[in-house]
Amino acid sequence: MRTTSSIILRLAFFLLCMSSPVFAHHGFSVEFDKDNPLTLTGTVTKMEFMNPHIYFYLDVKGKDGKVVNWAFEGGPPNVIYRQGWRKDTLKPGDVVTVKGFRAKDGAHLAACSTVKLPDGREMSAGSGGVSQNAYGSAAGADGKK
Amino acid sequence: MRNCFRTPFVCAASCFLVLPFVIACGSRVASGNPQAAAPPDLNGVWSAPFTPDISKALGHQPPFTPYGAARFAKEDEFDDPLTKCLPIGPARGIQAGIMPFQIVQTPSVFTILFENQHTFRIIHTDGRSHPKDVDATWFGDSIGKWDGNTLVVDTVGIDDRTWLDTAGHEHSDQLHLVERFQKVDNNTIQWTATFEDPKFFTEPWSITLPVARQNTEIMSYSCEENEKDRAHLRRTKK
Repeated sequence: MRTTSSIILRLAFFLLCMSSPVFAHHGFSVEFDKDNPLTLTGTVTKMEFMNPHIYFYLDVKGKDGKVVNWAFEGGPPNVIYRQGWRKDTLKPGDVVTVKGFRAKDGAHLAACSTVKLPDGREMSAGSGGVSQNAYGSAAGADGKK
Repeated sequence: MRNCFRTPFVCAASCFLVLPFVIACGSRVASGNPQAAAPPDLNGVWSAPFTPDISKALGHQPPFTPYGAARFAKEDEFDDPLTKCLPIGPARGIQAGIMPFQIVQTPSVFTILFENQHTFRIIHTDGRSHPKDVDATWFGDSIGKWDGNTLVVDTVGIDDRTWLDTAGHEHSDQLHLVERFQKVDNNTIQWTATFEDPKFFTEPWSITLPVARQNTEIMSYSCEENEKDRAHLRRTKK
């Protein structure tokens, strides 16, 4: 009986974790727009592996040839460290492709769900594996009424 | 017994390991209190599923009073105390999910160390009562009592600036929180929290979450270290 209840509890835990977003100190929808997804490729200029969220910056060349420096927010460093991220996972000069959701205020800022690294690995910047879009799932399960 | 003679070392080692338990059992019977078994060991690092909307765990909205319903209808994530890096509060700290917490248990105190904001709860298990006049604090005044394999924690005096979740479920300074930390097995605690607050809710209501042991250590955290979001937050309601 105890074993059965334990299995049920663990299964429930697993299912809940699968839909868990990665917010250290704010909800997703209060800052980012789930209806405004983006995919951008650019060159890493800076990495801030700091609390309460990691930030990294990319120089992205637009169709008009202009280069814009975008900021990307990921999960808390503690959380993504446990998933394999390190301070030097992104280095200045790396060319990467980022998927995410743009900030509601129109700034050149986005929530980062995944990053495709120069070696081809695609890493979640949130709470799950590559197949799990943390901020994407967050947008649908972010506790909004 | 024959095997024991053949392997005297194993026999001696077994006696050495078992003897303290025999003595402990004997002393309990001798004291006339066979019920007083040692409480389960809950030391370790644990995590519950992140629960940003407590009504999802409940299955429906809590039984609001008209006042509670009106407060919830107008509340906005923009005003979440966590966006200002304020403390997370006692129950929400358990639900923080993505950041684990560590239980440090002694006979007189049960401590919960949250990775989230590096805050902590001290739950007194030495038999004391709540103070007569409790000044509200971010984690309230907590006392605990063992009921078999379950620690029952009673908390009052919780600062009404804390929220119960990200979705904006609030409470008043009359919140009475009762939690049950039931050890299911060495890797699982069943955590049940009952919220009683006559100002916000017409009756007590409860949620239950599975808490799983984590193969990790709690890590450093500072909400203000590189906070850049506040300037970009927008109200989600008109």
